[in-house]
Amino acid sequence: MSLDIDPRIRHRTRHIGRSVPRREDRGPLTGASRYVADIKIGGMLEAAFVRSVEAHARIVSIDTSQAEALDGVEAVFVAADLADVKSFPDYISYIGSVRQRPLASDRVRYVGAAYAAVVASDRYVAEDAAALVAAGTVYEPLAAVADLDQAMAPDAVRLFDHWDSNISVDVNPSRPEVDRAFAEADHTFAETYTSQRQTGLPMETRGVVADPSDGNLTVWTSTQSPHMVRTAVALMLGVPEPQVRVIHPTVGGGFGTKTHTYPEDVVVPWMARRLGRPVRWIEDRAENLVASAHAREQRHDVEVAYDDDGTIRAVRCTSILDMGSGEIFMPGTAPVFVTNACITGGYDFANMAARTVGVVTNKTPSGAYRGFGIPEGAFVMERIIDRVARLTGTDRVELRRRMLLRPGQTPYVMHGGGRLDSGSHRQSFEQALPDALAALARARARHAGDDDVRVGVGYCNYVEPTSPSYHLTTGHWGGHDSATVRVDPDGSVRVAAGLSAMGQGAETVAAQLAADALGVLPEQVTVVLGDTERAPYGLGSWGSRGAMMLAGGVLMASERLMDKARRIAAHLLEADDSDIVLTDGAFHVAGSPAPSVSWAEVGTTAWVRTVDLPEGVEAGLETSGFYHPENLKHHLDADGRINAAASWANGTHIAIVSVRVSTGEVSVEDYIVVHDCGTVINPALVDGQVHGGVVQGLAGALYEHFQYDPDTAQPKFSSFMDYLVPTCAETPPMTVGHRESPPPDQPLGVKGCGEGGTVGPPAAVAGAVSDALADWDIDLTACPVTPVAVRAAVRAAETAGRGPRGSR
Amino acid sequence: MTSEALTEVAVGITVNGRLSRHRVPARLLLSDYIRDVAGLTGTHVGCEHGYCGSCTVIVDGDAVRSCLMLAAQADGAEIRTVEDLADSATGALSPMQQAFHDHHALQCGFCTAGFLMTLESVDPAEWRSPERTVELLSGNLCRCTGYQNITEAVAAAWSTNHEEGGTQHG
Repeated sequence: MSLDIDPRIRHRTRHIGRSVPRREDRGPLTGASRYVADIKIGGMLEAAFVRSVEAHARIVSIDTSQAEALDGVEAVFVAADLADVKSFPDYISYIGSVRQRPLASDRVRYVGAAYAAVVASDRYVAEDAAALVAAGTVYEPLAAVADLDQAMAPDAVRLFDHWDSNISVDVNPSRPEVDRAFAEADHTFAETYTSQRQTGLPMETRGVVADPSDGNLTVWTSTQSPHMVRTAVALMLGVPEPQVRVIHPTVGGGFGTKTHTYPEDVVVPWMARRLGRPVRWIEDRAENLVASAHAREQRHDVEVAYDDDGTIRAVRCTSILDMGSGEIFMPGTAPVFVTNACITGGYDFANMAARTVGVVTNKTPSGAYRGFGIPEGAFVMERIIDRVARLTGTDRVELRRRMLLRPGQTPYVMHGGGRLDSGSHRQSFEQALPDALAALARARARHAGDDDVRVGVGYCNYVEPTSPSYHLTTGHWGGHDSATVRVDPDGSVRVAAGLSAMGQGAETVAAQLAADALGVLPEQVTVVLGDTERAPYGLGSWGSRGAMMLAGGVLMASERLMDKARRIAAHLLEADDSDIVLTDGAFHVAGSPAPSVSWAEVGTTAWVRTVDLPEGVEAGLETSGFYHPENLKHHLDADGRINAAASWANGTHIAIVSVRVSTGEVSVEDYIVVHDCGTVINPALVDGQVHGGVVQGLAGALYEHFQYDPDTAQPKFSSFMDYLVPTCAETPPMTVGHRESPPPDQPLGVKGCGEGGTVGPPAAVAGAVSDALADWDIDLTACPVTPVAVRAAVRAAETAGRGPRGSR
Repeated sequence: MTSEALTEVAVGITVNGRLSRHRVPARLLLSDYIRDVAGLTGTHVGCEHGYCGSCTVIVDGDAVRSCLMLAAQADGAEIRTVEDLADSATGALSPMQQAFHDHHALQCGFCTAGFLMTLESVDPAEWRSPERTVELLSGNLCRCTGYQNITEAVAAAWSTNHEEGGTQHG
């Protein structure tokens, strides 16, 4: 299949490439949307979960009697009640099995782990009862493992008795060419870089409603992957899968946290079946902060070999992920593999030895968060480049220019096997520079004369793998997605796809794609997403895969549908089907616009006036496509490398910051982005993805850090009061430029753009602050760059005798 | 819980012009009253501790976080929610709703009602400058848009929307 728009379809206007207004907007604007918390079913009960307040403990006993005696309480369930529920499936063989139960049984391994559930007449009563269960719980506390060092100590308390350490995964490919480079290089240095723990924090928390009526099981859940939830629920509850229907209603943001199948997705349906009544559970924000996936907590032990002229000869990097308790499905290990795969960014640099380690601790399980390991790696690479530039007296921009991939170098195979199919690595940087240097000059002028304010610039040139393999780090599923296209008797088009919508505009994009692929207007296309009963089996929206997988599925299905439609039209026009073209919704013989037949006539013939169908053509006008990208691999090559993403987007981020030295306050004065996601389907939506991603990235660069007590592994945060999410007051002016480098072998040349915005800010901001404080020889190795962190670095430098001569 | 918490109180609350009388638990939050008793689910609850602003409604003319107020405290009050913004007869969006649509100022839409009600509660003449707009909106969290399109939408709506604010409120 060509997976492009058929040249025999002609439009007055193409819709792909235009900022077609979003069809998703009216509901939220008027209050008419239905999110999971808005679902109300007659007879519905409300659930609350009882969660561990201990980081690591055995549960000795749970007294549920007081809760059960409370007016309005229907039932209290503990792990033993769910003995008939299967455990979550194990992961791929090289990742430690955690045998996750839907409710924690005798042992809890993080604050927030659910070990009991209450069902009551309303949420207020359910929470009263949950508090009584909590009060009736007797723990035997165990020593808590709060960080990587504690976890990897030889005498560490083990989280899982069936493991021989707390290490879940350790992959260390041999790279003899790297060892040779270290032996030959002029210099080496070693450094440790870290990325701090964050969480995706969609404005809508998670939630599940389950209805067991009519012998079926309907589950509404705020997920990014309804089919995956369906398979897990059916498997774990032992219900035939055709009797399980999973729907995501309007989803209030996901950002990766909603790609997982959580215990509540299984326990709420189980409780509904047990009680024979609909049950609703809506996560509250305090729960969300400890019971939805965390991410990003990584340490990178790096050695760098470089020459006097600034040439980086080789890098060794051991990337260690703090997985929290590891009790999450799918496993939380994948991001650190992505970190290492992407670490070299848009640079022509393959002499890299990367070891990947995942370690369990007594903290909330780590999982997916937008960026999925890419920002962590980009941070390491850009900090390395800045360090080498400083050590060798090389200009930071020139060094990047020397290293960036140039036109003609793609496809380029990275150190781990990632295949950069196309891109504008050097060009994006060059495009961004003039704006950045002008902004830098403006910032310097603004602060001229104030010796307490220092201005700096920082750079990040990243790559963003899109439509990745699910299988490689999970052992489940692969990388396909799906679409079914139907034309009804009235000529209306219906597209149903396995992708999900959580605010990114996937429905609008699906309509644009179908409109161009079938020669109709977007308004004629009805889109169905997020319903396992109405859409074909797909994997959902994550990994920046929505646009590409929608394009693949819709184009495959549309091409098949067009073949049949053309045969029907040819028959009605008494012509040969090879002569038939479609112009602005009318089928006709090429070169003679009349006579013509409409989609309604073709649809009516296919479904209603089937006696008029040509001989050998079946009734109906509905086709499906199950698309799998050609370049996407799921198993390691013979040399241990793999291209685990269908395509690779790229971009340049440049941050201009000012730092008030006396207070440590950092202001991002300007932020410049040049972004390349291949063919752009809807420019406004791509800009929206970039804007939102950048602000999430800036949150990681400057504010958000989910902290635990270093001794007890108790979370320090329970609300937005202490976990700092940026508001519009913290958002800098942002300039977004675009380039389009469509890869030749993807549908329409579409890559994907969901995550790139989050990637650059930690690297760019840390680089800019380090530049601003170059007089102190400060070279940041961690985010967030808080006032406290800046002051600590300045004090340490001044204590060591470094600083601007005579100024303080 | 205390017995006071389970005491029921009689409230008469006008929501979007319609007065209803109910007996509700004394501890019922206004946000839950609006969503579960009045049945208007356009008001969203994002944090339940008064920080994120998603549940903002207008109570007697002022923007209020409905998760920080009890239904009992709203006895006798007049409340407006997001469902009251579009023209009820024609379905036409208000100028601010339309500007949000035109400027792609919402993605998942969960926080949108809170932004719209915060904006609806003020006199544009006082809040039109970019600095004041940012100050006004800094009490509402959005995780999707990065805010730039929201502030652009507000600037557009208020620049063409004249002194009276273009709404019924005032």
